Amino acid sequence: MASSSPSRQPTNHWVNGSPQRSVLDELYAEDRNSEARHRYLLEVAKQEHERVRKEAERVYLEQLKREELQRIEEERRKEQERIRLEEERIRHEEQLAAERARLNELKAKKIEIPPPLPEPEPPAAPAPSRTTPAAPAAKQNEPVQINGPATKPAPPIQSGGLFGSSGLKPAATAPSIGASLFPSQLTPAAQSQLPPPAPPASSVPASTAPKPNGIGPASESSRSAAAPEARTVPDRYIEIHKNLKLLRKSVMEQAKTNPALKSRLGDMRREIRKSVGQLTVASGVAGVNKVQQQKINSLLREALSNQVQSQLMEVSNFVLEPRNPVQGAVNNDAVLPSIFLYLINIFAKAAIAQFINEAGSRPETADPVGICVAATLSEPDFLWRGKSLIDMLLAKFRVVCPVLFGHRGSEKTEQGRARIGWWKDCGRWVSEQQHMDRMTGLGAGFAAISLRNFAHSKKTNPFPPREYWAAMARIVNTPAADISGTQCTVLKAMVEGYEQKFIEFYGTAALAALRTALIEFPARATQRSPAVDALQVVAQRLKRDTGLVLG
Amino acid sequence: MADLASRITKPADETPVNDAPAAAGEASTGNNGAEDNVEDDGVQRGLIETSYEVEVKLADLQADKDSPLHSGISSFDELGLSRQILDGLLAVNFKKPSKIQARALPLMLSDPPTNMIAQSQSGTGKTAAFVLTVLSRVDFSKPTQPQALLLAPSRELARQIQGVIQTIGRFVDNLIVEAAIPGGISRETGVQSAVVVGTPGTVMDLIRRRQFNVSQLKVLVIDEADNMLDQQGLGDQCLRVKNLLPRTIQILLFSATFPDKVLNYARKFAPNANEIKLRHQELTVKGISQMYMDCPDEAQKYDILCKLYGLMTIGSSVIFVKTRESANEIQRRMEADGHKVSVLHGAHEGQNRDALLDDFRMGRSKVLITTNVLARGIDVSSVSMVINYDIPMKMMRGREEPDMETYLHRIGRTGRFGRVGVSISFVYDRKSFEALSQIADFYGIDLVQLSPDDWDATEQKVQDVIKSSRARPDYAPNVMDKKD
Repeated sequence: MASSSPSRQPTNHWVNGSPQRSVLDELYAEDRNSEARHRYLLEVAKQEHERVRKEAERVYLEQLKREELQRIEEERRKEQERIRLEEERIRHEEQLAAERARLNELKAKKIEIPPPLPEPEPPAAPAPSRTTPAAPAAKQNEPVQINGPATKPAPPIQSGGLFGSSGLKPAATAPSIGASLFPSQLTPAAQSQLPPPAPPASSVPASTAPKPNGIGPASESSRSAAAPEARTVPDRYIEIHKNLKLLRKSVMEQAKTNPALKSRLGDMRREIRKSVGQLTVASGVAGVNKVQQQKINSLLREALSNQVQSQLMEVSNFVLEPRNPVQGAVNNDAVLPSIFLYLINIFAKAAIAQFINEAGSRPETADPVGICVAATLSEPDFLWRGKSLIDMLLAKFRVVCPVLFGHRGSEKTEQGRARIGWWKDCGRWVSEQQHMDRMTGLGAGFAAISLRNFAHSKKTNPFPPREYWAAMARIVNTPAADISGTQCTVLKAMVEGYEQKFIEFYGTAALAALRTALIEFPARATQRSPAVDALQVVAQRLKRDTGLVLG
Repeated sequence: MADLASRITKPADETPVNDAPAAAGEASTGNNGAEDNVEDDGVQRGLIETSYEVEVKLADLQADKDSPLHSGISSFDELGLSRQILDGLLAVNFKKPSKIQARALPLMLSDPPTNMIAQSQSGTGKTAAFVLTVLSRVDFSKPTQPQALLLAPSRELARQIQGVIQTIGRFVDNLIVEAAIPGGISRETGVQSAVVVGTPGTVMDLIRRRQFNVSQLKVLVIDEADNMLDQQGLGDQCLRVKNLLPRTIQILLFSATFPDKVLNYARKFAPNANEIKLRHQELTVKGISQMYMDCPDEAQKYDILCKLYGLMTIGSSVIFVKTRESANEIQRRMEADGHKVSVLHGAHEGQNRDALLDDFRMGRSKVLITTNVLARGIDVSSVSMVINYDIPMKMMRGREEPDMETYLHRIGRTGRFGRVGVSISFVYDRKSFEALSQIADFYGIDLVQLSPDDWDATEQKVQDVIKSSRARPDYAPNVMDKKD
């Protein structure tokens, strides 16, 4: 009997669950009331139940899937609709914007007649402090003053400015550390660093704070002292930059009539570019880039000897401030061979290009290039009247990364972008990604050049750490509303990987500066953006990876 | 939307009104009068200036709308990732999702988990896309219970992905990632991590030896999926691995190329998958300037190669060669020329290969000479030049034919994430010239010819090409249709 009933098809519907067909069989069956029978029926019912449940589950899942698909489809449609709407709106707004721009232009034209308009050049904080003629006044006699930038910033600037109230504590303790650290380290460098940056100069008289302030004055002068200056003296770096273009033209012209020059020029240029490109991260191993350094030096020496008879050229066109002959200097004439100046220019150009192209994606690669720049430009043979020709490189920096020099601008306007060095490619702004890459590379490059330790070198540091401090100050002193992603990106690149060097140079003062740069500065920004957030993450990373707590 | 609106509608003439009080307020808190003046000064300049400032043209903002890096989403915040992951992204300078990330992530992260087949150009953020999925799916309260498995075709790629997960996940607590490659997993303990990246062979061994508990795996990612599923050995291994995993696992397949026949197989492998495919004209990366060097004969290729490094600014570079012998010879010559070189080919042992590649990754060497081992996937963001010292060939029906996919993957080692990149292919005889022409025809690329006769002129040409690389009109390369 047991064999008769289990014939139920799995496809049966629930109706068949009731034993209609075999009612009689069931009734007459002998064991219809037996326990086995009872169990059997229970089992059958249970199976049926399970089947039904499974089926229901399947249907349910299918429905879920359908719904999910529908949802995705719906999402896609919505997305497309959104894009369409947005495009429409943008078109609309584009018209509006154009209209408004035209309106502004008209308005502008009206105003233009009566009040004397400011020159288009004066951006937020124009000429770098080094332009101040007051600079030479800051003869560094006492180590303490030399270390002005090094030792601790007094709180002079705007109270909310460099260091918040909390930042002042570490600041106060800084001098002792600084004093013990720096004299030995920085003094030699600073002494020969004759065009001392305005910061110390103006700070000494301005702020009667116990210690001269590197940051305050730097920004102060860049904003105050230097600002009016810049009106009368157009940005000197820009002039140098123009002069460099003329230099290049001149050399190309000479090459047309001077076969000796022509035959060497291209090869030398490519050799320099190649050598700069070959520099590799040292990872603690000394001398890995020795061959390249020697190659660059020998090419520049060859150029200096001027065997190819290039024209001689006024060097004063390529430096920030006029220089007088210095006793004992290798090159004291007013002129140098143009091929030498040209190759210094090419070397600077190669370094900048390497920063942009390579360090933009991998900031750590800027370091060997920075070392090479500092080493090359400080070579006694390549100094002019006792000082380096680094102004040629800085002129390029000024053009490609103006925020380092205190310039500011909105990333949303044409003029703002132009001011902060957003590049144009074939008449169009490069993408944000590219721009931020460039800024990353240049920020890292700037740090790589300015945070070099010349304490154990007989040579003079062409770009000592106070320049780093000053540049950082120029950025972090930006009013909240003007803070841009570009500044944050540059700042991040300047800091990351250089925390240790910075702290070695400036001690507790560096910690306060880092705190300002990584915590207070981004917190002040009125517009949140990934670049601002990223700056804050640097502080978190430092805490996590090195245990350095700034907050 | 909100973000776009804020970018566009801010009326320029209102800005000064807003700015003035703010700036003035700040100035008045300053502690000396002189500064106040200065600030005022600044404000005034701001006033006049801003009224003249013209908003950035929308055409410029939208110029890269078709770019694979442009998604319209302005930050990763909008994708609903955890704070730790977002911080990790910011720390590595990932600011906005690329197109593949913006499109694929919502689909991959939605519940119930759905399979995914995704294609996107080289260097557009595929790895980050699946890494983000993995990090979001894993339950880090069980850090040693394997929950995600990622398969890659080579040990180098597996290690690279492992590195990416660790970097992006650096702020994620309890994140353990192990590499299931030869020598990567302790034989004593077996797999003890939530995330496992490996090559199929090793993974299968581990599962068989019961050293890899797969019972709670939630995600299976296969990178370079076309290559993995296509190749005889790898494909079988992938399938066998998959059959050992829970049925409910979410399968994600990624690659820059998906030839049709592989795609069909992929659909069976990952049933009911969402698919993101490239439009045909999107296949090559626009930022890569493709050129070729016309060498007079094979012997001169060495010297010409060395000369290339003076023509433009080069970060790191990769040189693809056919044989180990020529790889070694090139290394000798280049080192004599001052370059620091890593050579990597099949003859090297696993651990040794790791060290060589690490040198290159860390920037201790900047030239990598390799055979096809590394054509795919390896991402060193500063690679700005790829050289096809030999044109890539493959055996088809007993004949040597140009290898289209390999060419694409090789040149894709540069131009990562929108950066400038250059590829130079060497031709020196009829055969190499014809092979390259076929590749160029296939992708519809206009290869620029360089000649080694006048380096001044060549330098100028290279500079021009790089400059105009972004201005070039889109070509319409088409792998899908022409395949087979």
